[in-house]
Amino acid sequence: MEKIAITGIGVVTPSGIGKRQFWANIKSGRSFIKEITRFDASLYPSHIAGQIDDLEKYSHISERLLKKIDAFSHMALVAAESALQDAGIDIKNEDPNLVGIFLGNAIGGWLYAETELRDLYLEGREGVSPYMASAWFPAAPQGQVSIYYGIKGFSKTVVSDRASSLMALGYARKVLAKNKLNMILGGGMEAPVTPYALLCCNTYGTLSKNNQDPQGAYRPFDSKRSGFVIGEGAGIVVMENIARVQSRNAKILGLISGYGTSCDGVDRINCAADGKELARAIRMALNDAAANPEEIGYISLDGLAVELWDNSEIKALESVFGNNLKKIPVSCPKSMFGNLLGASGAVDMIIALKVMEYGLVPPTLNLDQPVSSGLNFVAKEAKEYKVNKSLIISRGRGGINSVLVVEKV
Amino acid sequence: MDTKNKVKEVLANLLKVKIEELKDASTLIDSIGVDSTEMVESVIALEKSFGVKLSPKEITKNCTINDIVSNIDQKLTK
Repeated sequence: MEKIAITGIGVVTPSGIGKRQFWANIKSGRSFIKEITRFDASLYPSHIAGQIDDLEKYSHISERLLKKIDAFSHMALVAAESALQDAGIDIKNEDPNLVGIFLGNAIGGWLYAETELRDLYLEGREGVSPYMASAWFPAAPQGQVSIYYGIKGFSKTVVSDRASSLMALGYARKVLAKNKLNMILGGGMEAPVTPYALLCCNTYGTLSKNNQDPQGAYRPFDSKRSGFVIGEGAGIVVMENIARVQSRNAKILGLISGYGTSCDGVDRINCAADGKELARAIRMALNDAAANPEEIGYISLDGLAVELWDNSEIKALESVFGNNLKKIPVSCPKSMFGNLLGASGAVDMIIALKVMEYGLVPPTLNLDQPVSSGLNFVAKEAKEYKVNKSLIISRGRGGINSVLVVEKV
Repeated sequence: MDTKNKVKEVLANLLKVKIEELKDASTLIDSIGVDSTEMVESVIALEKSFGVKLSPKEITKNCTINDIVSNIDQKLTK
């Protein structure tokens, strides 16, 4: 299938808003995981997260609109604006019927929803904002971005747990490759740092309870791992066909060249221990990209910091890459800002683009004693590597596997 | 505070628009581009502020501030 160009990046994360600030923090290996301060979370088993406190500083969204939307739509609007600016695209000059939006989200807009549900029980139906119905559901950001820019083309929201945004990007590429649209805003957003969403994430049972040491809590692939830490944010990119990018003399930041997906189908929460289906998704993505495993220069790991998930990810990689695996730098940069759930894959892809641009692989934090010696983990600090092709892995509950291959121009 | 100023204050606070944007003789759709959900919210807020029952059929996006004021004044004097 045709390769699709990425021409603009918009990123909103605890590690920074905007690609420059974000990359500066990522390459320096700084952790942005802290105790939650938005509400009193002290009684939750896990009460640490990657939290964004300064979104308003970067936002041009009116107060009038803000009262109608949840934080996850706000993050998507800020990321979309930033991506369009980066791509040099003025949406007013586009045919709105040929612009699409493909976003991923896992849990919806709970800060808005739970506040209004509280009012429902305290004040009755008249206490509930009429915007509740359109603010909380996972496709709300797609709708808000479409209204904000007058975008009217074929669009979709993918809800596939933590694999959502990488799936949205894979799907968007397919649509562009069929020449159904001129351009797509693709990616994802998530805002789980709210009382109810945090409760659900805690109930899931795999969050780190190492509240005493927030920055040391998320330790993917480390022998002392204790589960993952949630984070909030959005990653949205502008995607276009290569011919169109060339015709408007724009810069290509990277190409999406392969995508693969599969389901483990063994448990409603856990993945399969053997990693076979993940391996199949990786092979699918490599075949789609017409790339040999040896050509992959960087692997962005899913890294849930849970034994079953980390070990099955290693098994899948060993099965596909064999002895060559030791040569490929791998890392899990989300250990710095938290697992953005449905937005995690898109942000990982943005990092992979930066890895290829600067030839620098950011570290996995807290990886003091890797559970496997068979992988070339980049830990503690960033390391220089010339990378032309990267592979990104994103997995969701119950073993939803999503894999993307991106490459340098 | 007279009815007109109170109506404007309620709507400006609720919809997060400037009081100057709410023109006496312009419809709400023309002056601030109000949407249907904002109208539902506005009717409820005006009912609460003035203690009168208003119907969404009476207070619509095609009403001017003057129309809304006269509707509320009529109900207040009944």
